[in-house]
Amino acid sequence: MRTLWKRSTAVFSRRQGDRELNEEVEVHLEMRAAELGEQGLDPHAARAAAHREFGGIDQMKETYRDRRGIPWIEGLAKDARYGLRGLRRNPAFTLAAVLSLALGIGANTAIFSFVNALMLRMLPVEKPEQLVSLYRTGGWGKGYASYPLYLEFRKHTDLFAAVFARSATDKVRFNSAHANSVEYVEREYVTGNYFDALGVKASIGRLFTDDDNRNPQGHPLVVLSYDFWRNRMGRDPAILGRVLMVDEQPLTVIGVAAPGFHGVAVESRADMWAPAMMSRGEIMQPGNHWIWTMARRRPDIPIGRVQAAANTIMQQYLTSVYGGQRDSAFGKWALGQKIEVRDAGVGISMLRDAFGKPLTILMAAVGLVLLIACANVANLLIARGATRRREIAMRFSLGATRVRLVRQWLIESLLIALLGSGLGLAFAIWGERYMLLFLPPGSGEAFDVSPDATVLGFTLGISILSAVLFGLAPALRATSLDPLAALKDGGSPQSGRGARAGFRKALVVAQVALSVVLVAAAGLFAHSLAGLRAIHPGFAAQNVVTFSLDYPQAWKGADKQKHRARLLAGLAAVPGIGSISYGVPGPYRGGSWTTGIHVPGSARAAKDDDQVAEQGVGPAYFETIGMRPLRGREFDPGDLVSTRKAAIVNEAFLREFLPGTADPAGRIVTLDDSKGAGRDPLYIVGLVPDILHDGLKTGAKPTVYVPFHDGDVSFDPTLLVRAQLPAAALLPAIRRELGKIDPEVALVEPRTLRERLDDSIFVDRMIATLSGFFGVLALLLAAIGIYGVMAYAVARRTAEIGLRIALGAAPARIEWMVLRDGLLPIGLGVGIGLPLSLAAGRITASLLYGVKPNDPLTLVWTIAVLLAVGMLAALLPARRAAAVEPVEALRHE
Amino acid sequence: MQGTLDLMVLRTLESMGPQHGFGLAKRIQQISAGALELNQGTLYPALLRLEQRGWISSQWGASDKNRRAKFYDLTKAGLKQIARETGDWERTVALMDRFLRPAE
Repeated sequence: MRTLWKRSTAVFSRRQGDRELNEEVEVHLEMRAAELGEQGLDPHAARAAAHREFGGIDQMKETYRDRRGIPWIEGLAKDARYGLRGLRRNPAFTLAAVLSLALGIGANTAIFSFVNALMLRMLPVEKPEQLVSLYRTGGWGKGYASYPLYLEFRKHTDLFAAVFARSATDKVRFNSAHANSVEYVEREYVTGNYFDALGVKASIGRLFTDDDNRNPQGHPLVVLSYDFWRNRMGRDPAILGRVLMVDEQPLTVIGVAAPGFHGVAVESRADMWAPAMMSRGEIMQPGNHWIWTMARRRPDIPIGRVQAAANTIMQQYLTSVYGGQRDSAFGKWALGQKIEVRDAGVGISMLRDAFGKPLTILMAAVGLVLLIACANVANLLIARGATRRREIAMRFSLGATRVRLVRQWLIESLLIALLGSGLGLAFAIWGERYMLLFLPPGSGEAFDVSPDATVLGFTLGISILSAVLFGLAPALRATSLDPLAALKDGGSPQSGRGARAGFRKALVVAQVALSVVLVAAAGLFAHSLAGLRAIHPGFAAQNVVTFSLDYPQAWKGADKQKHRARLLAGLAAVPGIGSISYGVPGPYRGGSWTTGIHVPGSARAAKDDDQVAEQGVGPAYFETIGMRPLRGREFDPGDLVSTRKAAIVNEAFLREFLPGTADPAGRIVTLDDSKGAGRDPLYIVGLVPDILHDGLKTGAKPTVYVPFHDGDVSFDPTLLVRAQLPAAALLPAIRRELGKIDPEVALVEPRTLRERLDDSIFVDRMIATLSGFFGVLALLLAAIGIYGVMAYAVARRTAEIGLRIALGAAPARIEWMVLRDGLLPIGLGVGIGLPLSLAAGRITASLLYGVKPNDPLTLVWTIAVLLAVGMLAALLPARRAAAVEPVEALRHE
Repeated sequence: MQGTLDLMVLRTLESMGPQHGFGLAKRIQQISAGALELNQGTLYPALLRLEQRGWISSQWGASDKNRRAKFYDLTKAGLKQIARETGDWERTVALMDRFLRPAE
């Protein structure tokens, strides 16, 4: 070992070694020359003689150098070659081991890529660890806040080195010079100090300053992302000063940001940034939550103190804005808002809130899968070690040290692990693509899970770790033999079997126990998903296509209404289309609005903090989503223009506000507007069943449907088409119709209602599918492990079994004898696995819907599945044992 | 020959104590009294090998003429190695002796 160390350090300090050797030689020559000089030789001749006696200096140095460094590496190369030869000679073993590991490592790499992209990868900005996000909760929406709130935080330079903000990334129209068709870009509005605060530099031109963001509509400027400039502008340096039409705003390009920067949000990639003052929304309106505030922390102030200070700032701000409305429902609601100071060095992300915990659980699950795979490979290696006893004994007697042999074994293990991780990477890339399919559109595309240095490092790390994990014990075991005894008994696998068999059985127990945890978790998640799927959303999602329309900016509400009327009339004539309607926001399009309400005559009227969900819908909306009003009628075109305003309520509304009323038709309700003032009274015309518009898990809220008017809100409605045609055939028909009316209007985000429903439970679908996959993988690996150990045990006992049969034991008895031997570790594994999975259940509980983590049915099923798989794996070797020919077996001995 | 040179170095260090390379070369040639044709240079790779095996250690110090030189010294493992190899040699010599002596 010492030699190994010395030589390995020598490799790295070669230059110093050379210098020392030169000096040593020089001293030698000097001393000899001096000696000869004392004997009377002149210095020149003395020096020459010294050289002569020394012999070839260069040749010696070469030998010296070879000896010093290279042999260490050469030895490794030799070991690796030897290992590879061994692996090639034994393809079945190699395939089983490499495949086991590849599945384990691949699963880990795939999940880790997501963890890395969502939770670990730092933003490519200056000192990202100082960044925090001022995450707003309560009131309406979350994360995003108002511009006045941003300005408020900006005043606090004692807390923050810089406060900046950005809007959501919007897909907007972009007219480039060389294409006539409508193109889209991802645009963000940012504050003037955005780039400076992040420490992002310009590639060319300049970036924004606060002077570029002073007056509303006063700064028609744009900064491009490097990727956009390279991919869509061909890296044209003449882009500076050019005017681009973005979202129908003429913006002058002033610069291109540094390569690799795509904004601060994990699940979106900005193509370009415009000053916040260029936003068309009500920039300074405190109720307009459109900008996400971030800050650079002063390094000397701990985050706890920042949070405390932020709470105070928020309270003061809210009181100054909403203090006067303290008594209204709206006011209470608005005053309940909070600011969470969150670390934002890894970027901001809505997806992280929903997906962070499931990912962590999946990461733990794949960790277990890898452990099971390692146990398998260790098992295979031990079996192989037993058959290689003769080879090992031979090498011992030829003078190899144990360290040397263990090194040889570990290098072989490392080779297996590296082969496994290579194949695993391929699996991972394929798996990541599959996982991305689960993400709802809008977060999947920008999500960059391609393996970077961190991911590759992780893969290499776990493959080395697993090589040690599965390789060390077998290596120590295989080399702990008495060479003489091993050579004498011909290296047959019989000898020294006691401890070895025990260790292998312990591995099987561990495999089974870990499999129980994974299979139980898979069962629970599947159960939970099935429960979600069984919930009736209140509408028939089949055969409905939803989409939005993108109108030219200049269009007013009346233009949109006229266009929609023509589109609806045109589509009604298309054969196969049943009914068409629209609504805001539409099913599964980001929830609903919450509004304060007054219901005269209601028992709850005395309290004024009542709130309902409000939806704006068109005529035939309920027919289109496949349901009928329980009482009264739904809106007709007359309701859109009538001065007597109509409303439809759902059953939850009735239960909450008018209990005991069978038919609410004719009752009056009044909704608050966005500033908390009352609007015109609405007359109820119909009652509809509860519809889970918001999500399957949240249940139905009391809801008031009102006729949708363009211009009521700044959102365009979602269109819904029920048709017998499949979506793939329907969309071209809709596009054709749109083109006929006005090619300027584009169809965006087409998605069937079924898909939108699926998107809303993507986390549940993903975790159920993946945990199911990992559960099956665990079972498969455990089954291989059980089979391997049992088959080996039978082979070992062939002679004994033959003797028993010769002495008259019935085959069934033999079969049972072997089976019993295998059932013990399986039973033990299940016994250990059950409490483990109950403990794991506490972590998964929050992700389960409608099923408890200790669900007895799931646990019983898990046990049954494991016992069945275990039995099956053990049965084959047992059968083989029962079929042993006594004569053959005894001759074998 | 490699093994014999190793043993010569070890024995020399045992009897004389720490030595630099030139001192070792000189001493070995003195003892062999000209019977050994040794390129003095070949001593250095041998010293490296012995050091790598842990039988000798080395340290830079000052020679008697106050010149910086590398000194080699025997380690405990080296001492054991001498005992082992001496035994081997004696057995070999005894064995060869029986073959080489004229049969009686």
